[in-house]
Amino acid sequence: MRLPIRVVFDQRGEAPKRLTALVPIVSVLAALFFGAIFLLATGYSPIDTYTNMFSDGFASSRGVTDTLALSTVLICTGIAAAFAFQMNIYNIGGEGQLYLGMIGGAWAGITLGDHLPSLIMVPLVLIFGALAGALWIFVPAFVRSRLGTSEIVSTLLLTYVASSLIDYVIYTPDSFFRNPNTSFPQGRLVSASAKLQSFGDTRLYPTIFVAIILAVVLYWVVKRTEFGYRINVIADSPKAAHYAGINAKRTTMSVMLISGALAGLGGAMLIVGPYGKIEPSIVNLGYGYAGIVIAALARNNLAAIVVSGILFAGLRVGGEKLQISTDTPIHIGVMLQGAILLFALGGEAFRRYKIRVVLVRAVTT
Amino acid sequence: MNDTSHEVAQGSHHLGGVAPTALSAHNIVKRFPGVLANDNVDFDVRAGEVHTLLGENGAGKSTLAAILCGLYQPDSGYLLRNGKPMHLSSPRAGLQHGIAMVHQHFRLVDRFTVSENVILGSRDLGFRLNRKEINEQVAAVAESFGLPIDPNAVVGELSVGQRQRVEIVKALYQGAEILLLDEPTAVLVPAEVEKLFDNVHSMTKAGKSIVFISHKLGEVVEISDRVTVLRNGRVTGHVSGKGTTDTRELARLMVGRDIELNAQRATHPIGHEVLQIRNLSLSINEVEVLSDVSFNIHAGEMVGIAGVAGNGQRELADTIAGLISPASGSITISGAMTTDRGPIQAREVGLAYVPEDRLGMGLVPSMSILDNLLLTRDRKVIVDRTSIRPEASRLIDQFEIKANGPDHLARKLSGGNAQKVLLARELSGGRSATKLLVVCSPTRGLDVGAIETVRSLLNDARSAGQAILLISEDLDEVMSLADRILVLYRGAVVHETPGATASLSTVGAAMAGLLENGGV
Repeated sequence: MRLPIRVVFDQRGEAPKRLTALVPIVSVLAALFFGAIFLLATGYSPIDTYTNMFSDGFASSRGVTDTLALSTVLICTGIAAAFAFQMNIYNIGGEGQLYLGMIGGAWAGITLGDHLPSLIMVPLVLIFGALAGALWIFVPAFVRSRLGTSEIVSTLLLTYVASSLIDYVIYTPDSFFRNPNTSFPQGRLVSASAKLQSFGDTRLYPTIFVAIILAVVLYWVVKRTEFGYRINVIADSPKAAHYAGINAKRTTMSVMLISGALAGLGGAMLIVGPYGKIEPSIVNLGYGYAGIVIAALARNNLAAIVVSGILFAGLRVGGEKLQISTDTPIHIGVMLQGAILLFALGGEAFRRYKIRVVLVRAVTT
Repeated sequence: MNDTSHEVAQGSHHLGGVAPTALSAHNIVKRFPGVLANDNVDFDVRAGEVHTLLGENGAGKSTLAAILCGLYQPDSGYLLRNGKPMHLSSPRAGLQHGIAMVHQHFRLVDRFTVSENVILGSRDLGFRLNRKEINEQVAAVAESFGLPIDPNAVVGELSVGQRQRVEIVKALYQGAEILLLDEPTAVLVPAEVEKLFDNVHSMTKAGKSIVFISHKLGEVVEISDRVTVLRNGRVTGHVSGKGTTDTRELARLMVGRDIELNAQRATHPIGHEVLQIRNLSLSINEVEVLSDVSFNIHAGEMVGIAGVAGNGQRELADTIAGLISPASGSITISGAMTTDRGPIQAREVGLAYVPEDRLGMGLVPSMSILDNLLLTRDRKVIVDRTSIRPEASRLIDQFEIKANGPDHLARKLSGGNAQKVLLARELSGGRSATKLLVVCSPTRGLDVGAIETVRSLLNDARSAGQAILLISEDLDEVMSLADRILVLYRGAVVHETPGATASLSTVGAAMAGLLENGGV
């Protein structure tokens, strides 16, 4: 039997502005609702859980600084993803580029000596991290721009290689990156001058400003510069780019290298910031993959990533603290992350179509 | 009926004993943001007739058709089917009333076979498909209307004309009594148009009604039993009687003023050599596309390239524009070698190029008119939009582009206006003053009013001393505009003749490859 209702999709010519802003908010709310079903089913109170999460993530001073601290790296991986996505290049290997950024940054921090002042060392570590991230995407970028090879596959697969590389440099007995003074495998600490001071007794580092400024600058670059103009032309119609003499290969290459460099920079920020060494547990944290969700939530708007990155960091921080303070499983946070992506992508349907539920009535004659 | 409309020929409702009205629309109003697409429109179609909706692009004919088939709902007004009111909430509801639309851009799955496409969207098929039975049904429907087609053929391998036939068979299979054909001939070659018209006749003989949507006067006169002319969303006239109508009168109703259907060659002086092409040859995937092409164009001269599509015209234009590197030969634009130097170099010495694909190659659809003006200009490192804005507004006025201003998105322009934006950009010069203009199919798909404007823009450019290469599949256009005509056949220039004395039969023979090395 068919229900006497029908869902009608009317395509919109242009998505209304308020919907563009509303969809991300509603997707987060929908994800929370979705999570509530699971919480209820497993015997937890969704209201208590979410209240705790919110106060841990956003409402306490400790929560706010922890959230901002985490958002530093998430903004980096978010803009890394969005910068490529907006040209229809799907660099989903930000995770691997982030690992390489850690390795590159740690190398500079260990090697370039104790004689350089912090003012030079910290930027050097960040630059080397970015270079290492760019290096990791170089081959995918080269084959994508020259041969059209799918960057989705190549960047994703290289992430597994990068993950093994982290294990290799930490667990190999004589590794350069391994701390020689401990029997337990740990990363070797970078020189003191390569480390930043956190604000007061928080875990927040000044790198947050670098991340935010970068997001805003890149937003401006795309809107206002010749380079951004080229990106927009290629994203819309490669044939028009060819017609106008825009070198699509070179632009594709540049965009991918920048994307990789941004993810790598995120990794290096972990070196100059909280860790000061390669932290092998990074492979379980998924900061690079989270960048994809953050980019989707911000609809690839580079400036909006600052907001979605902080929001996302808050959810994770709240989720983690929840496990410590109550016995709610940490996986609720991870599940919410996935649900947000799902609903953000699903929300696109609402932006592009006017969806109505209509009663099917007998045809009047 | 509103006050601007009038009866040109004898109104058909005066005739007695006509077939009953199958579908009628009354006082239809449809408003889109900023546009009144249909303003109190009345329309009706009888069983077994062809009723044409004629109008320029943007006149509201596609909107009316979309309302008739249920794709859009009118803001006010109502529809009657066999005299009874009906409400169409979707195209599916339209189908249930026997109304189907054949869209200009086909909605077929290339990888599916003909019959798979035909049954796509049908309900009540059951879980398991009985292919044999379906194939027989599809073939039977097709043959009964003189539309022979192999049900097992893969759609991706069919010609455009055959694909259109699949769309029509699909509509008939779904039980359509009233078919709306949206610009069906736009994609067809002349021989296919003839076949389509035969099919239309066999359908009307079987009692089907056809709503034919077009802006091509010649074919409208040939196929229609009645014509309703729309302009700016209003009905401006009804004409009836096959073959008795005057195209000039129809054109006037459509455009709102008298127009010159045949452009006149202006007399003008011819200056120095601007373009010189020597022994140009090009191969793509080891297929020879251009073979030893040599010609030149002078300032104030328009050279027309005639030829059947696919004989190297597009590649010739792309090569001159620096988009393709030739295998051998040379291109010189106002004394500077541009062979193999890329499009920017060619533009710096005065090239302008209006490609055949307007949206997607000549214009970036998602960008504004302003940003599209910047496409072929020097943009600086930080794009300076402020200083070009006044020029954009001026060009919009000067070229009479219907837009809300420089920020209007290219993809929201009608075909004619998109072409005007392209011409405005290319004629106004970018990296240097335009000396050589290469235009491909400049009026294809445009309505009569826009065609007239575009042709006069080209004439003005020539009078202003620009050298023009006009590449067009519209032989009449080349014959009536060009000072000199070259015929391309299999990538070689097989015939050259002055435009004023060109003979249609000789040029036609050369296009068909019947003249061997038949230069003048």
